[in-house]
Amino acid sequence: MAIVSAFLMPGNPLPFLQRGNPPWGAIAAGADRAAAALAASKPDVLLIYSTQWIAVLDELWQTRPHSTGLHVDENWYEYGDLTMNVRADVDLAKACIAAASAAGIRSKAVDYDQFPIDSGTIVANGFLNPDASIPAVIAANNLYHDFAGTEHLGRIAAEQAALQGKRAAVIAVGGLSASYFDHDINIAEDRIFDDAADSANRALLDAMTQGSDALQAALPDFNCATKGDMGMKHLGWVLGATGGFTGATVHSYGPTYGAGAAVVEFHL
Amino acid sequence: MAQGKIVAGFVAPHPPHLVYAENPPQNEPKAEGGWEPLRWAYEKARKSIEELKPDVLLVHSPHWMTLVGHHFLGVPRLSGKSVDPIFPNLFRYDFDMAVDVDLAEACCAEAQGLGLTAKMMRNPNFRVDYGTITTLHMIRPQWDIPVVGISANNSPYYLNIDEGTAQMETLGEATRRAIEKSGKRAVLLASNTFSHYHFHEEPDTPEDMSKEHPQNYHGYKWDMRMIELMRKGQIREVMRLFPEWVEEAFAEVKSGAFPWMVSAMGYPDVPAELHGYGTVIGTGNAVMEWRLAA
Ligand SMILES: [Fe+2]
Repeated sequence: MAIVSAFLMPGNPLPFLQRGNPPWGAIAAGADRAAAALAASKPDVLLIYSTQWIAVLDELWQTRPHSTGLHVDENWYEYGDLTMNVRADVDLAKACIAAASAAGIRSKAVDYDQFPIDSGTIVANGFLNPDASIPAVIAANNLYHDFAGTEHLGRIAAEQAALQGKRAAVIAVGGLSASYFDHDINIAEDRIFDDAADSANRALLDAMTQGSDALQAALPDFNCATKGDMGMKHLGWVLGATGGFTGATVHSYGPTYGAGAAVVEFHL
Repeated sequence: MAQGKIVAGFVAPHPPHLVYAENPPQNEPKAEGGWEPLRWAYEKARKSIEELKPDVLLVHSPHWMTLVGHHFLGVPRLSGKSVDPIFPNLFRYDFDMAVDVDLAEACCAEAQGLGLTAKMMRNPNFRVDYGTITTLHMIRPQWDIPVVGISANNSPYYLNIDEGTAQMETLGEATRRAIEKSGKRAVLLASNTFSHYHFHEEPDTPEDMSKEHPQNYHGYKWDMRMIELMRKGQIREVMRLFPEWVEEAFAEVKSGAFPWMVSAMGYPDVPAELHGYGTVIGTGNAVMEWRLAA
């Protein structure tokens, strides 16, 4: 198997931008532990899927060799700027585009100066791969793809990495419960939006620690109990790319303006 | 100081295809043309702006979506390159805009006074969204009139259509109050597509007009029904049907620009002028004007 490690990372930039705020700093500390685990797995490439990179026509794949520049989040701009520093594994991304297209998922390369790479991808890469020494394949969240379709995409990316003989780390970027505070809060007292969302998140994380079958079984209950981030399709990416996992370590869990966020390392 | 007033409001949709097809120097990709009837509609709107000589253009854009409240651009000058995340092949535009920060602050304060969460965006590195830029370019390509840029708060999606629309109408009321106190002549721009059913694949030549038509007949019929009511000046009836239109035509007006503008204008019973209607990847786009003052 070409997959050497797999992680769930929060897409909300607050823990990255403001780790001095205790609720967010705890999430960031978990991301540091994930970064150490990622480094130990010595990947040649990161396979990234972020719920925040939205596509509506074709499936999009990042192929710009090196994306740089400033990025300001449209919501969280007051907490600081993000620096884009993302390298693409262009060969592998092109192979994914060809393979996805052959599988009937019309796919396109994205290679444009100043393309607004989404905040989720930037912060996940910033935590795990801060010097961008590991290139990445980055796939968009096409709004018209469902969970199974996203699993399929993940599987395609992993297969293509294997065909190229590459050691790949799977990075799913997205949140847990999506309900957030829509008014100003005291950020030092940030918490999960309500008890129902908190319990649903904890049950889902617990299922992850028991392996991919338990996660699959728990997802319908989670989706009933709370509204998840983008139908939790980022977990479809993990399931498809890894082909299943035996358990997981939850490195951190906490709120991002009420929404659930967690850093999870999946055991392969 | 004379009382400020809203001299006109426009429905001014923002498909980046229209900028692309026009080939302005600011946009990197080059087109063979396309979407001419809609671009000719914008030519008429440009003439109206020329006649009206507004001091400020206020634009509400669904592609600056904010979770915590209603946000206003609050930096005097914003510039940079805006690359559309959905259509990067069509829209890579060098923008440079002057912001009327005084009026933006006044709108923000009035909105807070009416109980809304509202904020000023003060980050000078902020990249203005392509919806705002496209609407402004299409309505006034000279970029010589200061702008108030307003985000689309997520409430119509996060809460429900009624609560979200009510927030937008309150935001409109706040906007009107601020304009009146400012002494300025203002034009409002609702940056919204109507029926938003669209094709899921792009033709190899995006401007190949042999591929362009309404994606959804039901959405088209809804648009025609609503445009006809607007042309008759029956804006209250439009707003009564608004939730149904949004639901059945998957209309982008859900994001709030339209109710914001109509409320700010005081639900005028003057007939709207349709400058033109056309589809872009199958979505319904109308360029319309409500002339409120000479
Ligand atoms: Fe739009």
